[in-house]
Amino acid sequence: MKVEIGHGSGGKLTKELIDRVFLKYFDFPELKSLQDATVLPVEGEKIGITTDSYVIRPLFFPGGNIGKLSICGTINDLTVSGNVPLYVSVGFIIEEGTDFEILEKIAESMAETAVKSNVKIVAGDTKVVERGKCDGVYINTTGVGKNVRNLSPLNAREGDVVIVTGFIGDHGIAISLAREEFDVETGVLSDCAPLNSLLVPLFEIPTLRWMRDPTRGGLATVLIEFSESSGLGVKLYEDKIPVREEVRFVCDMLGYDPLYLANEGKAVIVVGREDAEKTLEILKSHELGKNAEIIGEVTGDGSVQLITSIGGVRRLELLEEDPLPRIC
Amino acid sequence: MKRERIKELVSLIHEISPKDRKIKIMNVCGSHEHTITYSGMRSLMPENIELIPGPGCPVCVCSESDVINAIRLSQRDDTILVTYGDMLRVPTKEGSIRSSGRNYKMVSAPHEVLKIAKENPEKNVVFFSIGFETTTAPTAALIEMGLPENVTILTSQKLTPEIMEVLVKDEEVGVDAFIAPGHVSAIVGANAWRIFPEEYGIPTVVAGFEPDNLLLAILRILYQLREGRAELENVYRGVVRPEGNVKAQELMYKYFEKADVNWRGIGLIPKSGLEFRKEYDNINAKKVFNLPEIKEEKVKGCICDKIVLGKAYPNECKLFGKVCTPSNPKGPCMVSMEGACNIWYRFGR
Ligand code: SF4
Ligand code: SF4
Repeated sequence: MKVEIGHGSGGKLTKELIDRVFLKYFDFPELKSLQDATVLPVEGEKIGITTDSYVIRPLFFPGGNIGKLSICGTINDLTVSGNVPLYVSVGFIIEEGTDFEILEKIAESMAETAVKSNVKIVAGDTKVVERGKCDGVYINTTGVGKNVRNLSPLNAREGDVVIVTGFIGDHGIAISLAREEFDVETGVLSDCAPLNSLLVPLFEIPTLRWMRDPTRGGLATVLIEFSESSGLGVKLYEDKIPVREEVRFVCDMLGYDPLYLANEGKAVIVVGREDAEKTLEILKSHELGKNAEIIGEVTGDGSVQLITSIGGVRRLELLEEDPLPRIC
Repeated sequence: MKRERIKELVSLIHEISPKDRKIKIMNVCGSHEHTITYSGMRSLMPENIELIPGPGCPVCVCSESDVINAIRLSQRDDTILVTYGDMLRVPTKEGSIRSSGRNYKMVSAPHEVLKIAKENPEKNVVFFSIGFETTTAPTAALIEMGLPENVTILTSQKLTPEIMEVLVKDEEVGVDAFIAPGHVSAIVGANAWRIFPEEYGIPTVVAGFEPDNLLLAILRILYQLREGRAELENVYRGVVRPEGNVKAQELMYKYFEKADVNWRGIGLIPKSGLEFRKEYDNINAKKVFNLPEIKEEKVKGCICDKIVLGKAYPNECKLFGKVCTPSNPKGPCMVSMEGACNIWYRFGR
């Protein structure tokens, strides 16, 4: 079957689309009411909420698809802000002519990711737009979680350590190679993954200051933002930053910088030095954190400096645009 | 091991660098500049040694006329323009390929054009082939393999030794030494640089792209300067032979011939580029689409020509950092990550 404009009408066809594709997979009792909003019990104090829209080409890429990404992204945003993710809403903007089969695949992996990470999909919406008005499917997800920790760059102090939970740049390379015509085969998969089971245990760490998932703009960008909002600086050691051999190879070839490539299953963490080892231990005991490393420290000087593998110093700056491959 | 070696090279550089004067070492290759900035090499140099980027980037110096023609081609419904990533942002008075173009795709190597041509048999696929000898040779190889019928080539190919000669003939340029590009040299041969030490007295060292190899080249230059010698040296021997890759050269000159071409911001330089030979009008996009030569209008205030030739620093330009920034480049040097103004903007000095 193919999506027709009528599938977005709100009428019978819409119901059919929702029943046949989404409800088939999103088997959460809270969602079944199909009301405009769902009432959720909030036990006690604070909740965290986040929303994000996902627009990605291609819809399916090595290591994931837009659906999985939309659930992971929201889970990760909640988690790194100190929340235990609980509920997610999903909104779809679908291009007329999209195959039901494609939507099913997307819905299936969304449900699988949600169930695996103990979050429930509890509200949803679909709209259909005319052919050519969007690129297949866009997804918006909103997430709600129970707030446990107050994490902020302002908590950080000089001397804290910076940890990354694993190899950086995988997602950026996987997408770039899937999108362009570059004749490069690497087998690099997107790292797209929900991080709550990895990171929630860190909420126990007393000196946990701040976390971020370095998505668009990569590790460099989130650390520069950290530095700008905290007024502190960061010193990073290039040799310590985990980058896969294959990713490094493609970066050399195309002139990308792994520090600026997107990740969808990694976190950068700032903790007090006294808890660094403990943090690393918790991370390394989890499959998604086994390659975690201490990559640098918080400094007082207000800028992000990379100590390069030859011992030189390179100041990291915000990129004004997405990186483009270089010719030379 | 490598670390140790780098430490040793850096300390030797400090030891023998003359204390009484400034030394300007120019690299003429985007990839060298890439290594230098990315490895933070400038921070390891003694105060008085300046590593300056020259006309090392074919993107910056690609003539505006060629870029505008590429933009216009990509606006045609029946055509797909194919080129390298960093060409997409080059500004012209008609915008950039990315902002004003419509049908375009990027590739990382010439042969990827074949796939695009195959998937779009009903379209004209025009490969905008820009670059130095390193990209010309694979383009020639692509033609040699036999181009699909729907593929033509818009060339804007430049030659490196030729521009360097323009550079040294200019009295104002105070360059003390050259680091010659390894990739280009692998094709043209180390001997192509011989005239610089021999006729102009400028020490020249051919180097590869690993930081330690570049540091070694700098050290060799300093030895030469200290001893008052000017010679051609090659520290990239594994890859660069004195005569270069003769086969690749033959292939290049089978399809192309030397021509007077426009360097953006610099002007027309005799015999400094390559154009298709007459016999190949049928694959020459300039002929097939009857493309006009569009007069270049220099952005008022842009001093890229002086910067590319090592005569001025980016912060001497009135537009620098105010009107002209990486996200809104006014002149070519601000475009690519290896453009002198772009580097200056991001890394300061
Ligand atoms: S863009 Fe750069 S690498 Fe490319 S040419 Fe210009 S200066 Fe060189
Ligand atoms: S700052 Fe911009 S306008 Fe000035 S010389 Fe550089 S590129 Fe040209």
